[in-house]
Amino acid sequence: MPSAVGQLGESLMQPFGFFYPTRGLLGGLNFSRDIYALLSQSDHIKYESVGQLAQALSDLGSIRIALAHIDSEEFAIWCGLGKSEARVHLLQLMSEIEQARIRAQESKLRLDFFEYRPSPRALFTSLTQLALVGVQCDVRQLQRVWPRSARTSLSAKWISKFQAIKVFSGRGDLVEIAPLQFVFTVKWKGVGNTDVAIGLIGKHVIIDVGGVRSFVELPAACSRMEPGSVRLSKNKFEINFVVKESEWPTS
Amino acid sequence: MSESGDEKSDKNDLGSWLIAMGAPASITYLMPSEITGLDIAPLASMLGGVGIKGGMRGVEGEKQSADEIRWLPVIRS
Repeated sequence: MPSAVGQLGESLMQPFGFFYPTRGLLGGLNFSRDIYALLSQSDHIKYESVGQLAQALSDLGSIRIALAHIDSEEFAIWCGLGKSEARVHLLQLMSEIEQARIRAQESKLRLDFFEYRPSPRALFTSLTQLALVGVQCDVRQLQRVWPRSARTSLSAKWISKFQAIKVFSGRGDLVEIAPLQFVFTVKWKGVGNTDVAIGLIGKHVIIDVGGVRSFVELPAACSRMEPGSVRLSKNKFEINFVVKESEWPTS
Repeated sequence: MSESGDEKSDKNDLGSWLIAMGAPASITYLMPSEITGLDIAPLASMLGGVGIKGGMRGVEGEKQSADEIRWLPVIRS
């Protein structure tokens, strides 16, 4: 377990009088071996399914966002530590989570279907979720390994669909379309074909596909705007924002 | 992994709070129930005016809670 996670876990327990064997709030996250594996620096990590890897990365991202919303002073009080010490732990943990995410995104995904072979439709959903959390699957590898466990090869239709899955970039742009009206546009090829839910939490947009989530940071100006509906098209979605006039500086 | 004790859902428990902060519901299965069932009321009380619900401010003193997910209506075009 990374030292920062362990120390943070221990410190989080202090104000509540808990003692071992629980390893604390975030230390307890190693109950999910998936997340623990991501936080560790193993060369090879094995997951039972693509969906499981996508969910682990999504959970890790969610925890990071939750931590990002914690005010460092509040966190220090909660931990029962000095402000600077608690802040160091918090930042270190967030950094480790980010590094784990980057490691996963840069890693080489190796698929096999010896133990479990989903339907092409289920695999398509899982690979879309994986792309949402930033990991691309090599379709040539998929074509190569699929027939080893299936009676038939993947059809041209499914190969084409798998090839169309693109990694989500995690960025968006805010554009003014009329006085006091803005649109925050997030591009993701094929998003219109997914069963996506869009939400806001604090200064982040949540993109949720079947429980797997990714987050996009909103520009600071959005905190003074009221969100409206989301317009979803094939390769992008747009969130409408209207400026709260009462918060707009007047000359 | 899911025990019946984990299912306890109280608005003031830590598990519910983490979910409200954006964590997926499955997070409650990742942590021991002693942790997810932790009452955060003493913490909220201790923090007083600062509050763990701090964040974006709404209009005219109205506090817009930043620790709840606000799902938006989606219009497909």
